[in-house]
Amino acid sequence: MIKKIVLFSFMLFLSLKAANAATDGTQAEAFMDGIGQNVIDLLTDKKISDQDRADQFRTILDTKFNLKSVGKFVLGRYWKQASEEQKEKFLQLFKETTVASYSTRFKEYTSEKFEITGHRVESDGGVTVLTRIIRPGGQHIPIDWKIFEKNGEYRIYDVILEGISMGITQRSEFASVIQKGGGDIEAINKALGLKLASYRR
Amino acid sequence: MPKGTKQAMKFIIYTLLTISISLSSVYAQEDYLSYTDTDLHPGEQVKGSEVEIKEALLPPTQSAEDSDPFEPINRGVFWVNGVFDYFFLTRVSEMYRGVVPQYGRERVAYALRNMNEPIVFVNNVLQGEMDDAAETLARFLLNTTIGLAGIFDVSTDMGFGYKKEDFGLTLASWGLESGPYLVLPILGPSNFRDTVGRMGDYAFDPINWWAYLDEQALYSNGRTGAQILDAKTDNLDLLAELKQNSLDEYATIRAWYKERREDLMIDDVDRRSVDSPRPDDDD
Repeated sequence: MIKKIVLFSFMLFLSLKAANAATDGTQAEAFMDGIGQNVIDLLTDKKISDQDRADQFRTILDTKFNLKSVGKFVLGRYWKQASEEQKEKFLQLFKETTVASYSTRFKEYTSEKFEITGHRVESDGGVTVLTRIIRPGGQHIPIDWKIFEKNGEYRIYDVILEGISMGITQRSEFASVIQKGGGDIEAINKALGLKLASYRR
Repeated sequence: MPKGTKQAMKFIIYTLLTISISLSSVYAQEDYLSYTDTDLHPGEQVKGSEVEIKEALLPPTQSAEDSDPFEPINRGVFWVNGVFDYFFLTRVSEMYRGVVPQYGRERVAYALRNMNEPIVFVNNVLQGEMDDAAETLARFLLNTTIGLAGIFDVSTDMGFGYKKEDFGLTLASWGLESGPYLVLPILGPSNFRDTVGRMGDYAFDPINWWAYLDEQALYSNGRTGAQILDAKTDNLDLLAELKQNSLDEYATIRAWYKERREDLMIDDVDRRSVDSPRPDDDD
């Protein structure tokens, strides 16, 4: 009972805070509502060619995500040490490997349903929109989306799959690649380039 | 269980517990909020979050994020697990998936999960979560009876969803740090705390006690095997995808494990939301 009261007051506190926060929760939900089902329909569409699917997915990444901020985050402290040219190359490779890995990954899937279950206003000014994908067998896959509003535009900054942040996971993975490569940023660009080539074979 | 094995287990639990308690003080270092780095920012006092500062002070070949001092050994075990996985586990798993349809595999998964409820209950109590404990007990009783030994999850439809707890999470709730990352033979990713937790769960599981007193020595091993197979089959596609898409499988799984465990530690509300990509001034 006490737990419930604490929880309730916490929620109240959050909702009061939401009034002042930079990113509006309800609007963030509306923003996700427009994207979620579209992305799923696109990624599971068997009628279009792999090339078309990739192109359309790239457009979504460009317009609905903030890939520069994500790229910066996943490169962590190595971002600051990289030259402009290296950063540019990294962002390009990061985007293209993301497109290549996601655009064919789900094409065997069928009739997945996307559902928004709520949102949570976070202490850093962003909003996490809570959603789930309902598979034909009835299983639920929870996916959360970290959204910020900047200059009147809503953008996705992180995707959290069953409690696992893709941003944090990739940062860890990329850091490991760079550390194994002697601490050189070129190591990650090289590895991403090879990965991309392997997708295109 | 023979007496020797029991004593050996006791010894291992105590040793690991002692090590992880002593390590937790090492890892809980004081926070500093600014530092001076004459190379990057000459003559300047740099402010930043704890993580940023820790990172900035490290040479570029070291990691601030992942506590993994045994990485070379872990990678070795990870590799051996991979071989075992390739030649044995994946084969068996594919066979299982080929022979038993999804409906049947789900029944098995639910039954295995139901057998896990008594130890979930024990951990609910140890964490002082009496509401959760009552719910777990209700789940177990409902699913074991109406759900026919747990093959049907009737309680979820009644509003009591399954919530995983284990002794590793209990130790975390008592304030024990995770300690270094470990890759266990066959069982895979873990850390010091969760390894102790795993042994604790094994030792305190009421169903294991029952099996022990009833001299069903094979039972526990059988169940562990079935759990591994179930988890593997459930994640067959995910793991194949990971292999295809990851640049460093070991590092990705290490990060996944850490994230997943942290997520399980947080009860419902606010996750550590600050450590995620966010907008900044120059984009």
